[in-house]
This record gives sequence, C-alpha cells and structure tokens, in this order.
Amino acid sequence: MPPQNRILDRGDDDEVCPVCKSSRYLNPDMRFLINPECYHKMCESCVDRIFSGGPANCPVAGCHKTLRKNRFRKQTFEDINVEREVDIRRRVMQILNRREEEFDSKRAWDDFLEQREEIIANLVTGTDVSKTESDLQAYASENVRSIRANQALEAQEATSFQEQQTLEQEQARLRRQAARQEYEDERREILAGREDVISRLASGKPTDAATIAREGQKILLKKSSARRSEEERIRQKQAALRNSDAKKAGAPVATTERAGDTGLIKGLKKIKTPEPEKPYDPFMGMVPNKRDYYTLRDHYPSGYLDPIRQDTRMQAGGYDVREYYSRTLLEAFAGLGCFVDEEVSKRDASTALGLSRPATEGAAMAAVTSSGLNDEKI
Amino acid sequence: MAVSPLVSHSPSAASSSPAKLRAANVRSSATKPENASSHQPSQNTDRELTEQLNDEVRQKYVKDKRLGEGTYAVVFLGRLRTDPSSFVAIKKIKVNAEYKDGLSMDAIREVKYLQELSHPNIIALHDVFSSKDQNLNLVLEYLPLGDLEMLIKDGNVHYGAADVKAWMGMLARGVWFCHENFILHRDIKPNNLLIASDGEVKLADFGLARSFADPYLNMTHQVITRWYRPPELLYGARQYSGVVDVWSMGMVFAELLLRVPFVAGNTDLDQISKICEAFGTPTEENWPGVSKLPNYIAPDRNHLVPTQGRDFFLRQFPNAGPVGADLLMSMCTLDPRKRKTACEVLQHIWWTSEPRPTDKHDLPRKSGGTRKMGDDLTRRGGEIDENAFKNAARKLDFSAM
Repeated sequence: MPPQNRILDRGDDDEVCPVCKSSRYLNPDMRFLINPECYHKMCESCVDRIFSGGPANCPVAGCHKTLRKNRFRKQTFEDINVEREVDIRRRVMQILNRREEEFDSKRAWDDFLEQREEIIANLVTGTDVSKTESDLQAYASENVRSIRANQALEAQEATSFQEQQTLEQEQARLRRQAARQEYEDERREILAGREDVISRLASGKPTDAATIAREGQKILLKKSSARRSEEERIRQKQAALRNSDAKKAGAPVATTERAGDTGLIKGLKKIKTPEPEKPYDPFMGMVPNKRDYYTLRDHYPSGYLDPIRQDTRMQAGGYDVREYYSRTLLEAFAGLGCFVDEEVSKRDASTALGLSRPATEGAAMAAVTSSGLNDEKI
Repeated sequence: MAVSPLVSHSPSAASSSPAKLRAANVRSSATKPENASSHQPSQNTDRELTEQLNDEVRQKYVKDKRLGEGTYAVVFLGRLRTDPSSFVAIKKIKVNAEYKDGLSMDAIREVKYLQELSHPNIIALHDVFSSKDQNLNLVLEYLPLGDLEMLIKDGNVHYGAADVKAWMGMLARGVWFCHENFILHRDIKPNNLLIASDGEVKLADFGLARSFADPYLNMTHQVITRWYRPPELLYGARQYSGVVDVWSMGMVFAELLLRVPFVAGNTDLDQISKICEAFGTPTEENWPGVSKLPNYIAPDRNHLVPTQGRDFFLRQFPNAGPVGADLLMSMCTLDPRKRKTACEVLQHIWWTSEPRPTDKHDLPRKSGGTRKMGDDLTRRGGEIDENAFKNAARKLDFSAM
C-alpha cells in the first residue's frame, strides 16, 4: 500500500505534520516518525498523543492499520518508498539467508538469488502479496534452525573480519617499528665502527693504518650479515605465526538443515550428516586373547613346570609360565582350521590378479623356520 | 617330482652365508614349488636357481640415494622398479669384522622376527635379498617422518595429552602384537619408534628381539637401552617375560610427558639408584624374591625410598591426568609380576577416557625425518651408551659421501 505522494513533498522549513498540521516554522524541534506498518508520517507529539494509551488506528484518513507506539521510528531515507523497500528487503533476507556453499552449483545459487529478488519485488510492488507472504512464513517456520545457524555464522564473520582488520593494522605498525629500529641500529653501528677505527688509528702506529681500516670494514660487514640472518629468523617466525592464526580463523563447516517440504528453494546440497565418531578402540579391531579351539587356564598341573613355580629367582625375574602355556597351546592347535586346499586356490586367485604377496610368503617362511627351531630345542 | 617343496633339504649349506641362502631357499619353495621340487638337483643348478630367484627380488627394486650409514648398516632410499612412486628403505647390513663366518645376530634376528610380524604398528619387511658382494639387504617400509625422539627433543613441536595418547596407543598395539606372537622386542625407546607418512608410529629395529624363552632356558639380561631397562634386567634376571617391554613403554610414556628421559643413569649402577629414587627401593616386601636375583645389591637400610603411590605419579606427571598417571604407575611397577602386561595396558580405561586420542593424520609432525630414519636403521640396538652414541651419530655428515 504505497503512501500518497502528497505527504512526501515538503520543504525543510514549512514542513507540516499531516496529522496535527503544526509546522516546523512554529516548532523547530519537531521530529517526524513513521511506522513500518503503513509508512504514514507524523510528528512525535502526535505519536505520543495518539498511541500512548495503547494500540490505535492510523490517524490518516482512509488508512485503517492498527499501529503500536514502540514500532515508530525515524525515517532513514527521504523517499518513503525506498524506506519501505529496504525494510522488506531486510526482512526477506533474514528469512532467506541461505549461503552459496549450501547449493549444489553456481547455477542453483543464482536461481536462488533471482527467486529472492522476485519475492522482494512482489512484496514491494504488491503483487501476490498474500501468497508470497504465506510461502515465506511457511519456509521460515520449517527452517528455523538453519536460519538461525546462518545468522550466527554471518555475525561471526562480521566480527572476525573486524578482528582481522585490527590484527593487520597492528602487524603493519609492528613492521614499521621494526624497520625504523633496524635503520637506527645500523646507523648507530656504522658510527660506532667508524669511531672505533678512528680511535685505533689514533693510538696505533701509522704503518698499521691500512690493516686497521680493513679490519674495521670486515667487522662492519660481519655485524650486518649477522643482523640480516637474525632478521630472517624473526621474519620466518612471524610468518609461521600468521599461518597458524589463519588456520585458526578457518570458517567452520556450515551444517545445513534439510530444506522444508514446501520446497521453496531448489538445488540445495544433500546434507551429509557426519558419521558419528566411533569410540576409540585400543586394539584397533583385533580381539585380545581370542582362541578358537580352547580356553586358556591360569594353571595346568605339570611336573616339568613345578620347579619354576617354586623357584624364587625365576619368579622374581618375572618369568611367566602363563606365557608358556599360551604359546604351547597355540602351537598345538595351530594347524587346526588351516585348510591348505582353500588357501592354495585363494593364493592362485590373488596371483592371477597380480597382487604381490610378500606377507603370505613371509608367513610361510616364518612357519617353516620357527617350527624347525622348536623341534631343535625340544 | 614327488618331493614336497617344504622338505627340500638345503643343498646350499656349502655356501658362504648359509642363513641367507636358506632364507632364499625357503622363499623359493614358497613362490615356485614346481621349480624347487626338481628331482635330485645337482649342487650347481640349485645354486643357480637360488641366485636366479635372488636376482629376481633384487631386480624388483632400484637403489636411490644413501640415507644414512652406521657401523652396522647402510640405509638407502629405494623404489619399486615397476612403480617409481613407491618408496622403500633398503637396509644393507655390512659385513662385520666380528662375524667373518656368517651374519651378525642382529641381522638374523631382524629378518627372523620382522618377516613373521605384519601389523600397522610394526615396520614391514617387504623382501630380503643379497647383493653382489654377498651383503644382506632388507627391504623395509619407508617411514619418512623421523621418530618420536625427534619430536620429543624439538622445542618447536608442541603436543598435548591427546597426541601422547595416540602415540602410546600405537606403541602399545605394536608391542602387544609382538607379545601375542611370543616375541620380545627388548629395545623399545623413542628413536626406535619411527613415524610413517600418515603419522602412524611403527616399532622398528628388531636387532635384539627374540621369541619367548622356553622354561629353564636362560636369556641375556644385557638388552634394552639402559634408560629404558627394567630393574629385573639390571639385577641380572635370566628368566623374564614380556613385561620387560612394558617397562620400556612406561619410560617412553614418561619421556613423552616430560620431554626429557625420566630415569637416565650413566652406568647400570647409577640406573638402579635412579630407579630406586624415582619409584622406590625394591625390597623383599614389595618384590618377593628380589634379593635372590644374581646382581641384586642390598640397599642401604638408612636410605630406603618407599614405593611411590598414585599421588607421586600425579604430581610428577600432571598432564597425564589421574587416569593416565594410574596407567603409568602400573607400567612402572618394580615387581614384574605386578606390572601390567601389554594386553592389560591396552584394556586400561585411559584409552577410552577423555581426551580422545588425536587422529593419526592430525598428529604433530616435523620434516627432515628421512635422515633420521637413515640414522635409526643403521644403529645397532641395545646397550651402547646412549649419550656417546647419539652425539657421534649426529656428527656424521652423510651428505659429503
């Protein structure tokens, strides 16, 4: 409902409140306020007078909007149409605040931008207002979470941008200071070196003059190269610092909600919910103490092993008969469940695929060597 | 033709390096049984066959630049001939003056145990071959990111409790896997823990490893680098178990937390006294039978340090947290029978409590590890004085060679 044009044409001095007709000429402190409900302009005293007692109808003839006092505000733009469009735009943008990274393609993102402009234009020009409004409301209520998340992200970006700016300024200042300092140091050192050479020339023999002068030059050169390497070191450190800062500032991955069922926005990325992290398994999938054919007991009667159980020295050294039990039993059962035919066919299949198999070879070899060794021992 | 490939008695025993050729033989029987089962092979053709197979393996790899050299081995960077982007480290064992008639124990142990173990936290042995000059070459996994010692020592590398937990987890899994296969590593220390390009820690240097001893069989107590050696070995125990590695793990854990070796003795005696100071004096009360150990030294009755409790560990290692301190305490128990086994260590609640271990890809890392790998793999394991040795290794400049 665009306001009538005659309200808008006004001069600075003889501005007249359309409601109470008092003019700026009589009341230089007069301020005009508008309400985004209907954008009819009126002076502050009128607002106080009419709306202090609660919501009331707009006093402009023909306008039946109910206005509230707290919604009145100062006008930003001279043109009330611009004012209104900006308000509408702000509201729509707040609801349709999808971000580019949420879309499948550039094309989808552009489509979305166009769609948003169209909605804004509809609301501004007043075409299909009720349908557009209801669409917008439906979308807003369905995507509350993603809207809020994107708002938070935006706010964060704004603040981090500011931080970045101040940080950069600070760094520039430090650099300038360092450069100044460096220049000063160098100048002072050159002066000091020169003075040193002169004093030594004064005290030394005239024949040494050339050597002293050369030495002075050398010292100066050495100092300056040392300074340069020091500077290099500092610069590297600063660069590393900057990198780590940049890493920290890395934007968090936006988690997008599934778009509402109304399907107002097309081309949104399918949301991959990150797989919940599995609890840490200290054995990384292997099962400790798993034995297929037997259960290991803590004690087996054996006359052969009894002396060990009584030998304090072996016990104190930590020799553990259970390790021996475990090993002997494992070796006793090692051949069971090993089906050579199957393994051979599997191996041939894998060779056909061209896989290298150093592991199996190694195992076969190990089996041979270790069994041989055990036989020797027993 | 009916001879089984696995019972082919080794006719190559007359060769100069029996162990190597035996290995090649077994390998050949595993890969090409139809060749190995030739009826009554004459010595000559068999030699040719093994050499042929050896050549086949050797041709698989291309030697690239030298990564490091020690008294015991030279390490080269190598790559697969078929796939130049796949790196390997080729460790060439030097013919040693001490072992003129064969191979050094370290090399045999390394080959014997590494080829049995295939686990993400243990360095992989891809192949073994002998080069023209009869040297043994081990083709090992290429681990370019250096070792844990390098990260511990570098003040510019910052890491936290979650990173320590991740590293300890990988170490503990590697050790547990060794023990599950009845192998004692016996030289666990930060510079034997190499780091792969994806951040995975791998247990390397099996030069001192051996399988669990049968009952009544003596083992040597002169193993494990001194600072990481458990008290029972310092006291000369000849029968011990897997928990000797757990003590070393505890020392590595403490070193990761403190960033300096925790108990660093200059001599074996000094090491014992430092351990007593740190963890308590071993007595018959807290370690029944300790006084029967061969090298046991009766402690001075006036200077008995009581066994340290949980508060001590919590005070010493505040960044481990109470649960971590508890685990460390159980890894550093004086009495080996009360010490946790590698499996029990992994069952501790510390692993599942907060903070969660860092993902291996996000662990702190440092460049320049290739040289370090070269150094680590050329070192002979064990009892060499760490200080003297380390400095010597650092001083060697391989780039000029």
